[in-house]
Amino acid sequence: MNEKRYAIVLDTKKCINCKACTVACRAENHVPHEEGAYRIWVTALELQGKFPDLHQDYEPSQCQHCQNTPCESVCPTRATYKSPEGVVLVDYDKCILCKACMTACPYNARFVHEHHKAIDKCTFCYHRLPEGREPACVETCPTKVRVFGDLNDPNSQVSKLLDTNRYYRLKEDRNTNPRLYYIIK
Amino acid sequence: MSFTRLKLSRRKFLAASGVTLAAASMAGGLSSIKAVANDEAKGKLGELGRKFVPSSCAMCVNKCGLIAEVVNGKIRKLNPNPKFFKSRAMLCARGNAGVEEPYNPDRLKAPLLRVGKRGEGQFKEISWDEAFKIVAKNLDEIKRKYENRSAVAFYSTEGFQEEFFHFLVQSYGSANTVRHPTLCLSSVIQGWSSVFGTYPDADLTQAEFVIMLGANRGEALVTPDSIDFQKNRPKGQKIVYLDPRFTVTASKADKWYPVKPGTDLAFILAVTNVIVEEGLYDKEFVDKFTFGFDKLKEHIKPYTPEWAEKECEISASEIRWTAHEFAKYAPRSLVYPGRRTSWYVNDVYLRRACAILTAIVGSFDVPGGIVPKSSIPLAKHDPIFPFFDMSKGRLDVSFKGIKELLPEDERTAAGLPTDSCTFLGEKDGSWLAFREAALRGEPYPIKAIIAYKQNLVESAPNREKTLKLFEQMDFICTIEIQMSETAWYSDLVLPESTYLERWDPCHSLSGIWPIVTFRQPVIEPLFNTKSMHEIAAGIVNEMLKIPSLWDDADSADVEDFKATLVEEILNKPTEEFVKYQLSKYPGAFDQIKKEGVFYLSDKPVYGKMRKEGTRFKTKSGKIELYNLKYEEKGLDPLPVYRRPSQPEPGKYRFILGRHAWNTHAGTQNNEYLHMIQKENSLWINTKEAIRLGIKSGDYVKVKSKVGEQIVKAYVTEKIRPDCVFYAHGFGRISKGLSLVYKKGASQAAILEDKIEPISGNAAMHETFVEIKKA
Repeated sequence: MNEKRYAIVLDTKKCINCKACTVACRAENHVPHEEGAYRIWVTALELQGKFPDLHQDYEPSQCQHCQNTPCESVCPTRATYKSPEGVVLVDYDKCILCKACMTACPYNARFVHEHHKAIDKCTFCYHRLPEGREPACVETCPTKVRVFGDLNDPNSQVSKLLDTNRYYRLKEDRNTNPRLYYIIK
Repeated sequence: MSFTRLKLSRRKFLAASGVTLAAASMAGGLSSIKAVANDEAKGKLGELGRKFVPSSCAMCVNKCGLIAEVVNGKIRKLNPNPKFFKSRAMLCARGNAGVEEPYNPDRLKAPLLRVGKRGEGQFKEISWDEAFKIVAKNLDEIKRKYENRSAVAFYSTEGFQEEFFHFLVQSYGSANTVRHPTLCLSSVIQGWSSVFGTYPDADLTQAEFVIMLGANRGEALVTPDSIDFQKNRPKGQKIVYLDPRFTVTASKADKWYPVKPGTDLAFILAVTNVIVEEGLYDKEFVDKFTFGFDKLKEHIKPYTPEWAEKECEISASEIRWTAHEFAKYAPRSLVYPGRRTSWYVNDVYLRRACAILTAIVGSFDVPGGIVPKSSIPLAKHDPIFPFFDMSKGRLDVSFKGIKELLPEDERTAAGLPTDSCTFLGEKDGSWLAFREAALRGEPYPIKAIIAYKQNLVESAPNREKTLKLFEQMDFICTIEIQMSETAWYSDLVLPESTYLERWDPCHSLSGIWPIVTFRQPVIEPLFNTKSMHEIAAGIVNEMLKIPSLWDDADSADVEDFKATLVEEILNKPTEEFVKYQLSKYPGAFDQIKKEGVFYLSDKPVYGKMRKEGTRFKTKSGKIELYNLKYEEKGLDPLPVYRRPSQPEPGKYRFILGRHAWNTHAGTQNNEYLHMIQKENSLWINTKEAIRLGIKSGDYVKVKSKVGEQIVKAYVTEKIRPDCVFYAHGFGRISKGLSLVYKKGASQAAILEDKIEPISGNAAMHETFVEIKKA
């Protein structure tokens, strides 16, 4: 098996909601400064408990690069497609902005890019990968919540993390088989 | 532990990178690349291709290493420098947002001279020649009129080019420089130094038990601590965190104690009490290195956990547990010193108590303990400045009227000085004491302000008073990159090149992992701007044309000054300055240009002071649990607990806190950061909000003795019922900050100007406010 199979493993317990990843993403991918325009985001999950017994977690999220890909299935023009490494991409030139994919996406990971007149979303910084560079969010993350790598390589850090930790994926009941893995500690 | 082995593969890539790779990536099949390339073609004409330039960040004070990706003369992206081990090779939200700074539409693009009334915002563009002449002329007029060069106050904030600003100050001869520490950390420096003779760092990578008081490392990012706090947190490390707010740090801590504001000292004294009474301290270390343990032993007796519980609202059993754990893990246990400690009028005593507690368990200069900073010495320029006859001593040193800046309570009845500040830094002064003295013209008038990067109007408590001070000025000049409030109220505004467009001197960043950083231009200046170095040179060269500016100095001194400062430093490029700084280390200049950092070792340094015969910088030469200088000066030689003033019924204490999305009042007008935080909101406890009929999103009026602001409410369980909070940097009054003008509420407008009089720090948690639905 020569193909790579890219994934991100997240240790959200380390996330401090500093938003470095979201700014890095905006800058790297020229995401417009508009409400609703974002490729990745960090959510402060609902506060648990009553003062003073409180608990709060933070959850970074983005396109989950599902292998059962509802956005791709519904796309009438094949603008949404999967790269050989399993990265879900959008060909702006083919996109007719019907927004069927936005409705189909269980993760709310797609938005209308007004400049491109097309749907936009996380690409795992696909343009960086041939240069051996990590996605911008992974590279910049201060506390190294995110690890990017190849699941087909048993020695990659992502493979090792998944071998040695329990994890969950978002909305597993939707049977999308996402490529973002959230470690449980 | 080594941090440089990170991401070496990417370094290899960077070395090999070039235009061809940019083309290769476009073949990757992503049409977004096309649009990106189009945007980038708008860069400076003439420069084509792609390059990676290492430099360092200036979006906050940490100065993290970055590598700028520049395409066709335009910055495409700022990335972390994998070799910059002090910040553990990261770049935060602000660091990433820095990519916009040179291109920000609100940038100052040319020197501006006020034409309307002050504060109206009417300016005209003038040339740099005119601007320099205006500054020199005003400096000369003030010197002749008041016969005192110190009538000009020079405000600045820390940064690589501050050194050049101070060269300008010394060229003129004013004693009055006012820096940022007394709006920030002067009390923690004073407190820890009064015990150890130094302000040390905390080794969070190996500590097993950490007590943090309000030091919100999860949000107020300090490198490497904020990173080590999560990324390099050792397995099993326990963190006990005291804060009236449930912050990100609280969410990561093993225990969060919502301490009653202003009573942390009771907690620390009680932990100390348990450790002393139960004999859990490090007897050998105490005997060998400390002074005054017997006195501490007597002093600490009344401060039992049962007593403290009533003050700080943390149960006696929790205090005992903390003490036992703290002692158990020593010397890998520590009280985290913290940074912005401009909290209460007796803050120095709290910091002293923290240092004493750490000292008696011997957690000093060992892995996992408190560790004195190491640094990499640089060659220092030593220019000669004339001695001017017409220069009076610092205003705030001789000012005797700080009493009005102190609350009327038991803390000022004893234990604190009430006429003038006890210890003032020669260059720092005390921000609030200085303003008070200047407002009263005591002991002499201040008639001009020159401000470099410091936004006096928005950064200090009681904005009304700062604006009143401005009214008394003959001349106000500000050097800035955007139209801050201080620039808005100035007569002359000088635009500085951003940190990405200039050379900056090296800084030796001291700490457990000392490293040298610097700046080189990532792009050429986009507009008609200059660096502080060039501005200082321009002004001084004009000053030299005015004979009356030099008539109270020895002419031979002036000649030496011209040779050693003007010709040797000011009129040479900053690059030469950097080369000289690194001249001790062969190859260092080339290395720093290529790699963005210079260091001698990436290994931590422990144990250099934990040696037989070490003399600490205290009067006794030992670690002073009992401080002899304090005794001499009539201060408490051992920390005494005195209850802080409490809000009247119906009022709340206003507390402050920093976060990771903006730096002070300096970065809010950046679109990337604005997308994260568009305005601030008032945190108020759910029960109190219900009582006042306030819901989240309602506008409320926050009213203190000195001002009022209207702001949205954020009703939450994350704050105690007796205090309220909103973030700094909003409610702006400069129309030149288009994203944040009149958005949210200003802290400067409502904070009372209370002072911590030992180090001269501001006491910013001593303001009580009324909250009403607006």
